[in-house]
Amino acid sequence: MKRQHNQAVALSTTGLPRRGFLRTAAGIGVAAGLGSTLSACGGSGGSGGTVTLHLWDTDTRPERTANLRKLISMFEAKNPGIRINYLGLPTDQYMQKINTAIATRSTPDLLTPKASDIAALVAQKALAPLDDRLKAAGLEQQISPQMLKSSRAAAPDGKLYLTPATSLADVIYYRADWFKQANLKPPATWADFDAAARRLTNASAGRFGYTLRGGNGFFAQLVEMVYPRAGVSTFYRADGTCTLDDPAVISACEAYVALFGKQTARSDLTADFKAMVAQFGKGGAGMLSHSVGSYPNHVAALGADKVGVVAPFPATGHQVLTGWMTTGFAMFKASKHQDAAWKFLAYTMEQEGNSFWAQKSGYLPGNKAVAQEKWVTENKALKAAMDASSAPGAVTLEQPYYLPEFSTITTTDLLPQWQKVLQGGLSSRDFLTAAAASLTKAKSKYGKEHG
Amino acid sequence: MSATAGPIRRKRTAGARLFGPPAAHPYLLIAPAVVLVAVFLLYPVLSVFWESLQHHNLTRPLDDGFAGLDNYRKMLSDGLFWRSLRFTGQWVVVEVGLQFALGLALALVLNRTFVARGMARALAFSPWAVSGILTTTIWLLLYNPTTGVGHYLASMGIGEYGTSLLSDPGTSFWALVIAELWKGIPFFAILILADLQSVPTELYEAADVDGAGVLQKFRAVTWSHIRKAVVVATLLRAVWEFNNVDLLYTMTAGGPANSTTTLPLYVAQTAIHGQNFGYGSALTVAAFLVLTFASLVYLRISKTNFEEGK
Repeated sequence: MKRQHNQAVALSTTGLPRRGFLRTAAGIGVAAGLGSTLSACGGSGGSGGTVTLHLWDTDTRPERTANLRKLISMFEAKNPGIRINYLGLPTDQYMQKINTAIATRSTPDLLTPKASDIAALVAQKALAPLDDRLKAAGLEQQISPQMLKSSRAAAPDGKLYLTPATSLADVIYYRADWFKQANLKPPATWADFDAAARRLTNASAGRFGYTLRGGNGFFAQLVEMVYPRAGVSTFYRADGTCTLDDPAVISACEAYVALFGKQTARSDLTADFKAMVAQFGKGGAGMLSHSVGSYPNHVAALGADKVGVVAPFPATGHQVLTGWMTTGFAMFKASKHQDAAWKFLAYTMEQEGNSFWAQKSGYLPGNKAVAQEKWVTENKALKAAMDASSAPGAVTLEQPYYLPEFSTITTTDLLPQWQKVLQGGLSSRDFLTAAAASLTKAKSKYGKEHG
Repeated sequence: MSATAGPIRRKRTAGARLFGPPAAHPYLLIAPAVVLVAVFLLYPVLSVFWESLQHHNLTRPLDDGFAGLDNYRKMLSDGLFWRSLRFTGQWVVVEVGLQFALGLALALVLNRTFVARGMARALAFSPWAVSGILTTTIWLLLYNPTTGVGHYLASMGIGEYGTSLLSDPGTSFWALVIAELWKGIPFFAILILADLQSVPTELYEAADVDGAGVLQKFRAVTWSHIRKAVVVATLLRAVWEFNNVDLLYTMTAGGPANSTTTLPLYVAQTAIHGQNFGYGSALTVAAFLVLTFASLVYLRISKTNFEEGK
């Protein structure tokens, strides 16, 4: 009782020790904040003359991770003073992690972005341009000009941020054994393709002629199956309007949508990459559109003799190449070891590193000397893509990855509408007209902002 | 020591110099908790409110700036916002209602004495111990059109090949409900069973003597004992189901054609995929307000019922 009284007196005479309390609380807060910042920071370090770089990978398929680790160890063997720490990010959430790292200034040194990620990263001024280093290293002449152009086209300012180490390209896979059983020749025209899809479909036996991507990532397949068929080779007209509402594109889209539910499973309404590959690999579908990168998956599931590959067919005399998207490596501007990081980037473009990485990835190599190596022509998917690209009058359709909104529009915004089209609740014409308007507006806005 | 002696001047120790006067000690003791609450609870909540008043879109950095109430105006005219809100209500009512009804039935069965009751209890509760991502993986495999149950049923002549409950807007809702029930029923069953075991058997014996039937015993004895646990469990589960993202995101991601998009899922799509943090924050504030209001109403109704039942 007496103690309580004394305390009350003390409080009334001395007043609340607010300043001391606030000082102590602030001290604890700062200490906690510093602690969490320090523990979260993934900065590079060096000790004993060894530079340690941090690489964040955005595509963490187990076999790819193993190959990337091997590439890193090959690089480290040639550069004893440099160590690279690999960190795999969740494939469907990597941009969230990267954005958080940018906001908290805890970015790593190296990244494996896709061309479609570059615009958002450049908008945040997170990446280091590589043009000067590429020129100084004499690598520009060794790289495919098409891939170099495609890499630069991914950035809003036209600079090189993504090394053109490898590239994807769209192809059509087919079940060679089913074609043989049905006395069908490999499709060479869109009419052949449609006829084969009908002929191979036997819904009562669980076999469909084609698997259509109705779920996540649908836009890539839509472009692959529609633009070459329409014979339209540019995404924007000279006046800046998007060609998605071109009558030929609408007509080709209607032919593509007509496959759904008849020559495809109805569950394709939500099919993503995994669902498509599972259907093709398990004998549920006779044809599949995807990039050259999935060739090893199909061979592993079915065996090389059962997998045939053709490039999307020319429609009006000239070949439209789709899906030629550069995949490579990039360097963060905040890296404290940019010279060491560049050595790794250069290694992925030089013959030894590029040959290993492209072959193991199943992608088209960026290094021109590697493109002549024997393994490239032995890979059916790469051969089909290379043959198509060397056809007279072949034109690459460049998608506007440089538009910061392109990824959001073609994924989050358009996916529900596309699924409505497949269900018959929205016409192809209305869908494409609205999509074209949205992409035209995005380009116009971009044009105004960038002069 | 005489009463007239002067005030005692205590020598300041090193501890007193470091921690200040004794009057400060209570504040020092609660300071870590206050700092933690401020840093990890108050700051994030307030920052979301502040962010909802901003244009903040990572893909449109030049448009960033103070938005005032623009995001809220946009929300009021956003059809998907209202649709996702309606679907969230439907999801919560159906899920919590079915989980409660089936969980209660399961608890009543498991409260009876029968052979291998321990084994039956362990089996019944095991889904609750399975992680969310494993639950979705199990159900995704079951619903898979190529390798799932539907494929095998089709091979036996039941249904069609190439269909999936998750890919049909007419069936996707119930496919999700079943998957979530599998995990949610044990939650109610565990809580209710724990309460059932504390009901004195004498009460049932007295009811038997009075000639009460099964329903009368349930209403007069069982229900009056478990009612408070049911209120707490229902409220908790309703909040969890409102905020359910893992199962819905992994199984349908809100599709097909937004037919299973809840409000939290819409927030995730807007903020994470669309990278529009300003509008995403406004949607989060709306979800926060809806949830707070619903919880207050529910607690108010429950309190009234308790007081009437006293």
